[in-house]
Amino acid sequence: MTKWKIYTPEGVQDILVNECFVKRNLEDKIRKVFRSSGFYEVETPIVEFYDAFLAEDGITAQETMFKFFDQQGRILVLRPEITIPIARLAATKFKDVNHPLRFCYIGNAFNYKELGGGKQKEFTQAGVELLGVNSPEADAEIIATAIKAVKACGLENFQIDIGQVDFFKGLMEETGLSAEETEQMRVLIDRKDYLAVEELVKTHNIREDLKELVLSLPRLFGSLDVIDRVEKYSLNEKSINALENLRKVLKILDDYKLSKYVSIDLGMVQSLNYYTGIIFRGFTYGVGFPILSGGRYDNLVEKFGKNSPATGFSLGINMIMMALERQKIETEKPSIDSLICYKEEGRKTAFEVCQALRNQGLVIEMDVTGNGIDELKQYARMKGIGGIINILDDQKIEIHNIEENQISTVTMDELLRR
Amino acid sequence: MRYLTVALSKGRLTELSVELFEAIGLDCTELKGSSRKLILTDEKNKVKFFLAKPSDVPTYVEYGAADLGIVGKDTLLEEGRHLYEVLNLGFAACRMVVAGPAELQGKLDQLNNIRVATKYPRIAREYFELKRRESIEVIKLNGSVELAPLVGLSEVIVDLVESGRTLKENGLVVLDHIADISARLVVNRVSMKMESERINNIVDGIRKELEKR
Repeated sequence: MTKWKIYTPEGVQDILVNECFVKRNLEDKIRKVFRSSGFYEVETPIVEFYDAFLAEDGITAQETMFKFFDQQGRILVLRPEITIPIARLAATKFKDVNHPLRFCYIGNAFNYKELGGGKQKEFTQAGVELLGVNSPEADAEIIATAIKAVKACGLENFQIDIGQVDFFKGLMEETGLSAEETEQMRVLIDRKDYLAVEELVKTHNIREDLKELVLSLPRLFGSLDVIDRVEKYSLNEKSINALENLRKVLKILDDYKLSKYVSIDLGMVQSLNYYTGIIFRGFTYGVGFPILSGGRYDNLVEKFGKNSPATGFSLGINMIMMALERQKIETEKPSIDSLICYKEEGRKTAFEVCQALRNQGLVIEMDVTGNGIDELKQYARMKGIGGIINILDDQKIEIHNIEENQISTVTMDELLRR
Repeated sequence: MRYLTVALSKGRLTELSVELFEAIGLDCTELKGSSRKLILTDEKNKVKFFLAKPSDVPTYVEYGAADLGIVGKDTLLEEGRHLYEVLNLGFAACRMVVAGPAELQGKLDQLNNIRVATKYPRIAREYFELKRRESIEVIKLNGSVELAPLVGLSEVIVDLVESGRTLKENGLVVLDHIADISARLVVNRVSMKMESERINNIVDGIRKELEKR
């Protein structure tokens, strides 16, 4: 019955030394960016009630969640994302707080999705949520934080595409398409299926100028002139307000001096029921999927009992790691500065030296094998340790420089004064 | 400059795809030869080409292992991948249909347990479940699907039909039309953003070339 004991289930992985070192470094850097912008970190449970993620317009499909039962027979899930838990937390634990709430998180989420291209069933997400404010400044702040986080990870060649879902919603209202047809259209535009969009438009009685605009939707991405082009059409209030809002956010990002990372995509129409305003995604070379996504979701927190606008983003740390690797960007490796070995007479001195050096910030490994110096040298070479400190007694300490293959002899005082 | 990578479907689409790329000035002649090399490169334009099994092309493109791909709409429907479908190339045109014995004509709704033999389980399921709101039993076959109703393995089949001759010779008729199928140019979602200028040049080039024909 122990057939599977040496394996890990498909879609989850051990993370080994070098990779783990890089990952923790990235998480630290991202956490610093979040904290420096005043976002407080929170931790929510990995296990939640299924009900929290269950919504007819949910962003996670039922069949992609890991589900099990508690003792009362209620359905539990491994969280498929962390935005909804934060919305629950904000609406319940902070229900009487009226000022803006700023939260951030770094944690693992789970999803039964197809593997490949860096996707795993267990993955690490880092993100921020800003609740209680609906302003272009809040949207811009979130996008700016996203850009800063990606830069802190060491990526420089990336692009954030920004859209506004109300533009599309307003446009569809104006064309008079039914909710079902709108959804059909959304899927086609999201797929940039020009031909099928054309066919769908042809079969409906839509104002000629709007037809032209809908047909151009899959191509409406690029720089600011996209908005100029679209504003020439006669649009309803919802669409006009959406474009105005988008312009404001872009202007603020320009004042942040972040324009070069930003581009517009009015054909970005994923999850229309979830997002209510600005929406964005981040792309870079070497990974076939977005590295981050986010936007405004003013109707979500309400589902947990508090009326509160909200905006935020989440970034896939595994995707960032893949991008760094593919783009051959140097990342730090873990290393050990020195290995200390000793004979029994030198043991006390060894511990003193070790502590003193560690206090200086060096990474010191104590030898616990009692092997001879030749064997230790071999081990040090294999592990990339720079030197061996062989403590004979407090007056006589041998320092073996592995790279240059040199030996020098010093006293303890001399060693610590270096 | 980074290489753009193009995944082409091995088989009947290969030659037509190669002609198209050559017409817009990309060099992929080697693909036509009997070379055993898996990846061929046009150094001048910094474009790489490779041939893959048609059903794998959407996977390569979705994961970004290829920036662009040429593949049949049937495969796209069956694979249901997240990618951009930017151009209908028009060639390799045929239809995806439900077919069965003539006596079922107009009586598809009256069958209680429908067994559907097909090479395209996903397309069959989506058609019956979403369009007809019926549960079905899918029997996945890998070829000669027309055989299934003849030997009592299934009531109907879902398959590609070009001229309809095979159906006719086996006493089967088209019971319903599911979709028009032809070759499509697909693009990875991220590549479309990160390499938009070069990709749009290729897409526009192909579009103009198709208009000439």
